[in-house]
Amino acid sequence: MRKYNYSLIAGLIITAFMLAVTITAHFWTPYSVTAMSSMSKNLPPSAAHLMGTDNFGRDVLSRVMSGCGTTFFIGMCTVVIGAVFGTIVGAVTGYFGGILDAVIMRINDVLLSFPSVLLALIFISFLGTGKYKIIIALGVMFIPSFARIVRSEVIRIKSQDYVKSARVMGAGSLRIIFVHIIPNIRVSMLTAAAVGFNNAVLAEASMSYLGLGVVPPEPSLGLMLSEAQQYIFVAPWYALFPGIVIALIILGFGLISEGLRGLAQK
Amino acid sequence: MEENELLKVRDLTISFPTVSGMHTVLDHISFDVKKGEIVGIVGESGSGKSMTSLAVMDLLPDHAVVDPGSSISLQGRQMLGMSEEELRQIKGNEISMVFQEPMTSLNPVMKIGRQVGEPLRLHTDLSEEEINARVIDELGQVGLVGAEKLVEQYPHEFSGGMRQRVMIAMAIINNPSLIIADEPTTALDVTVQAQILNLFKKIHEEKGSSILFISHDLNVIREVCQRVIVMYKGHIVEEGSVDQVMNHPRHEYTKTLVASMPDNAADTASDKVLVHVDHLNVYYKLRGGILSGKTGRSQILKDVSFDIFDGEIFGVVGESGCGKSTLAKALAGLNKEYDGTIQTNGLRPQMVFQDPFSSLNPARKIGWIMEEPLKLRGIRDKAQRKSMVNDCLQQIGLDPSFADRYANELSGGQRQRISIGTAILRGEKFIIADEAVSALDVTVQSQILKLLLRLQKEWGLTIMFISHDLNVVRHMCRRVIVMYKGQIVETADVEELYDHPRHPYTRMLFDSVLSDRKRHNVKFDSMNRLLFTAGASTGGCPFYNRCFYRSDECRKKEPELLDTGKKGHKTRCCRLAK
Repeated sequence: MRKYNYSLIAGLIITAFMLAVTITAHFWTPYSVTAMSSMSKNLPPSAAHLMGTDNFGRDVLSRVMSGCGTTFFIGMCTVVIGAVFGTIVGAVTGYFGGILDAVIMRINDVLLSFPSVLLALIFISFLGTGKYKIIIALGVMFIPSFARIVRSEVIRIKSQDYVKSARVMGAGSLRIIFVHIIPNIRVSMLTAAAVGFNNAVLAEASMSYLGLGVVPPEPSLGLMLSEAQQYIFVAPWYALFPGIVIALIILGFGLISEGLRGLAQK
Repeated sequence: MEENELLKVRDLTISFPTVSGMHTVLDHISFDVKKGEIVGIVGESGSGKSMTSLAVMDLLPDHAVVDPGSSISLQGRQMLGMSEEELRQIKGNEISMVFQEPMTSLNPVMKIGRQVGEPLRLHTDLSEEEINARVIDELGQVGLVGAEKLVEQYPHEFSGGMRQRVMIAMAIINNPSLIIADEPTTALDVTVQAQILNLFKKIHEEKGSSILFISHDLNVIREVCQRVIVMYKGHIVEEGSVDQVMNHPRHEYTKTLVASMPDNAADTASDKVLVHVDHLNVYYKLRGGILSGKTGRSQILKDVSFDIFDGEIFGVVGESGCGKSTLAKALAGLNKEYDGTIQTNGLRPQMVFQDPFSSLNPARKIGWIMEEPLKLRGIRDKAQRKSMVNDCLQQIGLDPSFADRYANELSGGQRQRISIGTAILRGEKFIIADEAVSALDVTVQSQILKLLLRLQKEWGLTIMFISHDLNVVRHMCRRVIVMYKGQIVETADVEELYDHPRHPYTRMLFDSVLSDRKRHNVKFDSMNRLLFTAGASTGGCPFYNRCFYRSDECRKKEPELLDTGKKGHKTRCCRLAK
């Protein structure tokens, strides 16, 4: 009579597949990622080039495989920065409350009220473009949403008797926050991370599309979409395949977060 | 069909599908309820008593499977397999139900008058005026004063006891032949509980309704019922008149249920004062937003002073809201908003909380939870900590393998044992038990109390035992303070207090205790009347509004806590000052 968590399973399978592709790309791609060839510009998909070639004659499949890596890397780093700092901010403000909480949460609200891409644009205009700069810009953008989730969970849990019990025992505030409370919000943090990863992937794609993210010739899915725009009628496959892959990555993580939410409700 | 037969249940078998096959919760239950009879069903949680009432009321969960051989008949009509429409005619008309939780069983957005009149609207052709008149009449019947105004109010304006009266009014308004009451007094304070039970008896006498009364509390059953059915793990293990079952139980389970009160505590106290509380006032901060600029605090405890001696069990009793838990929190250092003196001799009081389901960290294994106080004591050696936890688990009557489990795999009683063990492992000899057994079944309760008594002796603990249950306090404690509205109204040795209560509030508490009631033979109507004239504070004695013996003097002057002349017996009442 057991009910399987289909979303979680499907999400994990898709994500594992994408990860496998990424790792493979690290060691082997059908063609060199940057090798251009004037002989084979804008070729449609064929046995030699499964996803066709682009305007420089580069193999789209190779570039998509490699671009996955860039996307995953940026997404992961962004989420880690957001999660670590967001958790610290949310846990501390939620646990101690008071004026600190009120002030930080209002700043949070201000940050959340801007579209994240817009804010990232402002950052980029100060920092300049490039892979690591976009990671920092996006990572900072993701702190408020994590902080808010963690804060509400900490507030819920801090009134539980087992937290009071730890206080009565003489455990310090930081120990209570990070050893007693945080382990209880793992599931919500994982869910938030999965959602955050999706947003990071989309944000990276849009930044690169706008020419403010990854610098060519390094491949990135968003950058490929942007370049393909000019050739959309000549070589539609150039836009199609990176788009499909972005959709797949997002679908995978979306299903995982859906499944995790289901787990939490049990 | 027999002349006076009302409800006839035969071979009722109900099961639920689970991972490991069908789980039977009721196994061939058969019993009758005759016309005009009050039948009690008693048992612990999980015994199937509530499932029985839900089955009669056709309120079973969707995935429940009723065995085709089962039969429930009401006045000769088979109810299982009836159409929705036929059942609808019976529900709320011939059978009605009173639920346990008065705070959630009324619709919060519907006026009281409309809710109580709903059964009439569904089952009769009365006009709105007639319905309204009946509603006001019934609300008066259940002891609510000023029914004309009450019908225009919403449930949140009512106290728990008043809501339960409203539920009862709604249940009796159609003159049903059978009322099912599922733990109707469990969520209420003792004094209110006594009134509600009295009300059930009054309804039974005046309307002649049959009542199927479900409770885990033998004293309640003994008070109200004529016949009792004892359930255990989905079976009826004993059935008979209340006298026969209570005084001569035959089944082993009934025997443990009836005899589930531990022996009196041994007096191990010394003369050394361990905890000294002097002129303690405790407050709660009132929250305003930072922009509203409003700050303030409300006073919860007023001028509380007492001493606890080394090695004694010290009782604190009172109704909910009297400040018992606030006192515990202040002593344990969880509320710093106080003035006055709290001296604990350098001890860090440990707490055992009421709710076993929120007092253990669900994300951690039991072993980790129990090691935490040892880590905080500075014991670095992991092996030593492990062996100390193992020893402690055995001391509290659990297998060392529990260290590898999570809290959600444990029963309420087992969790409470862990809480006690964790408190002891901190190595402080002073423990505050805040309603530590109130959430447990009677038989489990007695096991935990025995454990506390044993550990108290073996480890030389001092315990502050907070409870609303006067029977338990009598058995556990040496000295007791009685609290009312944040003040100590009476304090004495336990024998002295129980034999010669001086304060009217203490007397009222004792009169509400069911096992003592028959002895004292108290009239309750006067108590009912007084409670519902409760109003704003007069500035004088805080108990003025509920007091039998009040005089004009009480209205003006706030009484002091004075010696009664007997050793250590003090009370706060104007009559004594004269």
